[in-house]
Amino acid sequence: MSSVAASPASDSLVAQKSPRPVLQLVDVRKVFDGFAAVDGISLDIEEGEFVTIVGPSGSGKTTLLRMLAGLESPSEGYITLRGELINDVPSNRRPTCLVFQSLALFPHMTVGDNIEFPLRVRKMAPEERRKRALELMAKVRLPEDYYSKNVMLCSGGEKQRVALARAFAYDPDVLFFDEPLSALDYKLKKLLEKELKDLHRESGKTFVYITHSLEEAMVMSDRIGVMRAGKVVQIGTPEQIYTTPADRFVAEFFGEVNIVPIRRADGGWLRRDGKPVAVPSSLDIAGDEASVVIRPEYMRFVTEEAGADNTLTGTIFNEYSLGSRLQYQVRSRTGRTFLIEVPRAAAWKGDGEVTIGWDAGNAIVVGG
Amino acid sequence: MQTVGRTRTHFLIRAWTAFVVLAIYLPIACGALAGLSKGRYFSFPIRIFSTEWWGKTWDSFEIHVLVQNSVLIALIVTVLSVLFAFFGALAFARYPWKGRRAFQRLLLLPIFFPQPVLGLALLLWFNALGISPSWKTAVVAHLVWIVPVVTLVIAIQVFSFDPVLEEAASDLGASRLFTLRTVTLPILWPGIWSGALFAFLLSWGNFPLSLYTAGADSTIPKWLYSKMVAGYTPMVPALGTMSTLTAAALLLGGGLVRVLLKRRSELRAREG
Repeated sequence: MSSVAASPASDSLVAQKSPRPVLQLVDVRKVFDGFAAVDGISLDIEEGEFVTIVGPSGSGKTTLLRMLAGLESPSEGYITLRGELINDVPSNRRPTCLVFQSLALFPHMTVGDNIEFPLRVRKMAPEERRKRALELMAKVRLPEDYYSKNVMLCSGGEKQRVALARAFAYDPDVLFFDEPLSALDYKLKKLLEKELKDLHRESGKTFVYITHSLEEAMVMSDRIGVMRAGKVVQIGTPEQIYTTPADRFVAEFFGEVNIVPIRRADGGWLRRDGKPVAVPSSLDIAGDEASVVIRPEYMRFVTEEAGADNTLTGTIFNEYSLGSRLQYQVRSRTGRTFLIEVPRAAAWKGDGEVTIGWDAGNAIVVGG
Repeated sequence: MQTVGRTRTHFLIRAWTAFVVLAIYLPIACGALAGLSKGRYFSFPIRIFSTEWWGKTWDSFEIHVLVQNSVLIALIVTVLSVLFAFFGALAFARYPWKGRRAFQRLLLLPIFFPQPVLGLALLLWFNALGISPSWKTAVVAHLVWIVPVVTLVIAIQVFSFDPVLEEAASDLGASRLFTLRTVTLPILWPGIWSGALFAFLLSWGNFPLSLYTAGADSTIPKWLYSKMVAGYTPMVPALGTMSTLTAAALLLGGGLVRVLLKRRSELRAREG
C-alpha cells in the first residue's frame, strides 16, 4: 500500500512489483435511516490476497461485504474493481461471488444442479456443465455420487462444500465469505478453515472473508482488518495485529488480555494505586491517559528468586485447566481481575495470596 | 406393561381413524346409493337398484350446460385469483413497506364477510352499474371472496421463502427473470398449486354468491339446491356422485402422472 506513493521516477518499477489492487475502496459510507453502518472505509485489496475483516456483530462488516458483492450500493465513496467504478453495478454483472452465512443453497435442486446453476445462467451445454460440476466436486472433496443427491439431505460440512463449489463454478475474480463456518462444530470448522486456505492457494483467487472470530481470521488470512462502529480501526498481518494492536479495543478483541489503566505523571507513568509503572522505553503516547495491555501468558507468579518489572498482589479465586497450561484468575487489592496463564509445570503451589507481575518488554501500551 | 399400553394406544388410534374416515365417507356413500335407486323419491332402504337416473343425468342437455358453466367459472376464477393472489402475497409477505400490515388485513377482511350478504351487496352494485347478472358477474363475485383465501394460502409459502436465495441467484449471474423462473417459482409451486386447488374447489362448490350474482345462468350448486327445494329427482345425488368420482379420478390421474414423470427423470439421471 505504501508503494503507491513512490516517486514518479520509479513508477514503472513500482507498477511491476505491486500491481494495481483488485478491489479498491475509497471513503465508502453506507447510511441506513441516518445510521452509518459503514462510516468511511478506505481499503486496497491486492490480487490473490486473503483478507479477513473481523469485528463484533453490528460493526458493519456484513454491510461492507454486501456492498462489495453488489447487494447494496454505497451512500458515498467509491468502489473500484480492477480500476473500474462498480458502485452501482448490480451483483449479477460483477465478476465476484459471495458465499452467504446461510449458504443460500437452492433447496429444490440436487447438489449437481446447485453447482451448475451459474453455468446454466451462461447457457453452457448440459454435458459440459456436468463435467465441470464433477471436477469442482472433486476439488472440494465431495463424493461423485452426491451429484444427484438432494442438497437438503447433505450434512452441514457437505453443504459448505457445495456452496464453495457453486461459487467456484461462477469462476469469479474475487470470492467473498460471510461467516460461512459459524454454524459448524469446532472440529469441522478447523478442518474446513485449512481446506479453504488450501483452495485459496491453489486457485490463486482473491478471498475476502468476514468473521467475528479471531481464531478463524488468524488461521487463514494474509491480512486482517479490524472493524468497529463502521470503521476499520486497524489493518495488518495477523502478526502485526496480535503483537501491536492499535488500541485497547483491538487488543481486547484479540483474545483475553489484562488491562491496567495508567496516567502520565512527571515524566513517568503511574498506576491507579499510585505505584509507578515500567513501560517500554520507545513509548509514544499522545494523551495523558493510557492502558497497559498484558496477555495472560506474559503474566507470571513473582517469587523472591524471579522478580518482575511490575508487580501486584492479590488472591487467586479461580483456576482453569487448559490441558498443558493452567489459567488463574487473581483479584488484586484494588478489586481488579487479572488472568494469568502458566505451563502446568509452573502451577501455583502456595496458598491464595500471590504476587504476580510482568516485564515492561512483554506489555503493550495503547492510548486511551 | 409398556407393550400392553402401546397396543391399546394403537388400537385407539386405529378406531378413531376408522371412525373419522367413516364419518367423512358415509354421507357420500349414501348419496351415491340414492342416485342408484329406481324410485322417484329418496327413501331407505332402496328397493330396486338401477342406473336409469345416471343415464338420464349423463344425457341431459340441461346438466351439460350446468357443468359447462361451473367448469368455465371455476377455471377463470382459478387463473385470475392465482394471478392476483400470487402478487398480493408477494407484496405483503416478501417486501417490507410502510402499511403492509394494514394492506394484509384489508385484503383478508372479505373472508369473514357472510357470503349471502356479500352476494346480495354485489348484486345491488351490479344493478346500480346497469350490468345484468350472468355467469360473468358470478366470476367477479367469486373473485371477491376467493382471492383473499388464495392470497392467504400462497402467503404461507411466501413467508417461508428465504429472500437470500434470490440474492444468491443474482450473485451467481442470474437475471431477475431467470431467478423467478428457476428459483422463486419452483420453490413457491406447492403454495401456488394449493392456492389454485382451493380456488377451483371454492368456486366449483360455491352456492351463496352464485345464487345472487349468476342471474339466469345456473351452476351445479345452484341447480342442486333448486331441485332439493322443489322437484327432487335422483339426478341430484347422481350428479353429486359423478362430480365426486370425477374429482377422485382427476386426483388419482394426477398422482399417477407425477409418479411416472418422477420415474422417467430418475431413469434418465441413471442413464446419465
